[in-house]
Amino acid sequence: MLHTFLWMALLAGFAASVTSGIIGSYVVVKRIVFISGSIAHSVLGGMGLCLWLKRVYGIDWMTPIQGALLAALVSAFLIGWIHLKYRQREDTVIAAIWSTGMAIGVIFIALTPGYNVEMMNFLFGNILWISHGDLWMLLGLDVIVVATTLIFHRKFLAVCFDEDQASLQGMHVNGVYMTLLALVAVSTVILIQVVGAILVIAMLAIPAAIAGHFTQRLSKMMAISVLLSCLFTFIGVLTSYQLNWPPGATIALIAALFYGGLFIKRSTCQ
Amino acid sequence: MIETDHLSFHYEEEPILQDVTLTIKTGEFIAIFGPNGGGKTTFLKLLMGFLKPTQGSIRTDVDRPEMGYVPQLASFDKQFPISALEVVMMGALSYPVSQAKKMARTALERVGLAGKEKMAFGSLSGGQAQRALIARAIVSHPKILFLDEPTANIDPEAQQLIDQLLTELKGKMTIIMVTHNLPSVIKKVDRLLCVQRQITPFSPEGLCEHFALGLYHPPLMRSP
Repeated sequence: MLHTFLWMALLAGFAASVTSGIIGSYVVVKRIVFISGSIAHSVLGGMGLCLWLKRVYGIDWMTPIQGALLAALVSAFLIGWIHLKYRQREDTVIAAIWSTGMAIGVIFIALTPGYNVEMMNFLFGNILWISHGDLWMLLGLDVIVVATTLIFHRKFLAVCFDEDQASLQGMHVNGVYMTLLALVAVSTVILIQVVGAILVIAMLAIPAAIAGHFTQRLSKMMAISVLLSCLFTFIGVLTSYQLNWPPGATIALIAALFYGGLFIKRSTCQ
Repeated sequence: MIETDHLSFHYEEEPILQDVTLTIKTGEFIAIFGPNGGGKTTFLKLLMGFLKPTQGSIRTDVDRPEMGYVPQLASFDKQFPISALEVVMMGALSYPVSQAKKMARTALERVGLAGKEKMAFGSLSGGQAQRALIARAIVSHPKILFLDEPTANIDPEAQQLIDQLLTELKGKMTIIMVTHNLPSVIKKVDRLLCVQRQITPFSPEGLCEHFALGLYHPPLMRSP
């Protein structure tokens, strides 16, 4: 019989899978995996700042996850603005935001007194650490992501496929693109709780990339991606429990193994 | 109608178009040709409002949603998971989904792609994909149709189908088309514009005389 904390971990993993499957599909088809990686890593700055303020100035209501959400949204806005205004230098500036966010985080962690086990959990993920409150927050964010996707899917699809055509049709392309990046930011924060900031990009990109091999429709790609993500979480959590491995890294490794296997199978069949 | 007045466009310090003043009348069929990098696509994007002029102005009595655009096929990701019907529906974004679907089916039929609605856009042949993009551009009955090399890199049979389609559309809307394939369009266009930093207009007859004098354009020399 599974322990309660394992059930909690699986439920959290499944909740995160809904987000990673849906938003990851947009990320993969729009080819903004690098942008998502930058958002995911820049959250370290926000988490470090909040933890430092909490420990040094005693601001107890501040939590690393709030800092992560703020940093993710700020970096998503900055990257979106750069994409829209300075497309020619986009990759360099995104890399700069990526490393700046991490640098700020590392400095604040160094300045924060005490051993930062909380920070380590957010960095590398610890799904076994999930509380009832975290689970409710995950489900709440799931509802936001699913509702926004249902409302804006046609617009997201148009912007992902051909921004020029969407703009010609009178669509506010910049606004839709920014909304998509904001969703990526929120999803990143959801996934951090499961696999950690360092590995979040694996859960956004790998299930969707695998799903893309099995369908030619974005809506189906999302559904397959959610199921694959649930499967990787299930296998990953149980494997990590059996082998006493870190769960986030195990989930990401299982996903990578499936992707590698598919890649090899496709290469040998061609 | 579209009017440009001393229109110039620079990319950073590099001049792409300089001092272009011309008028395109409603219903005209215009072919744009010129060397690679001469500013053809830039000119098209300026007319559609994707780029802002560095100097001068563009005036038109047509709103952007009343413009249809067929971009170069090579600019699309063949792996993007989308059906032919969904691609065409993107030309009718302002309509409710059910109506857009109906309009898209009609447009696909019009370009000879009936029955291909569910096919993945990436699995269509070059000619079929190009026709799907034309269907997307005409699905909501635009007043101006812009095409950027619609017959590039497709087989002769598909080229013929697209030529036939353009002949059918002639007179029903203003058509402005970038092309390297002058022999196939010279008989049906009203005017040709040679874009090479500046724009030189020609009548079809005038262009033939120009060529006869030896001031040839290489793509025309490759004609059968």
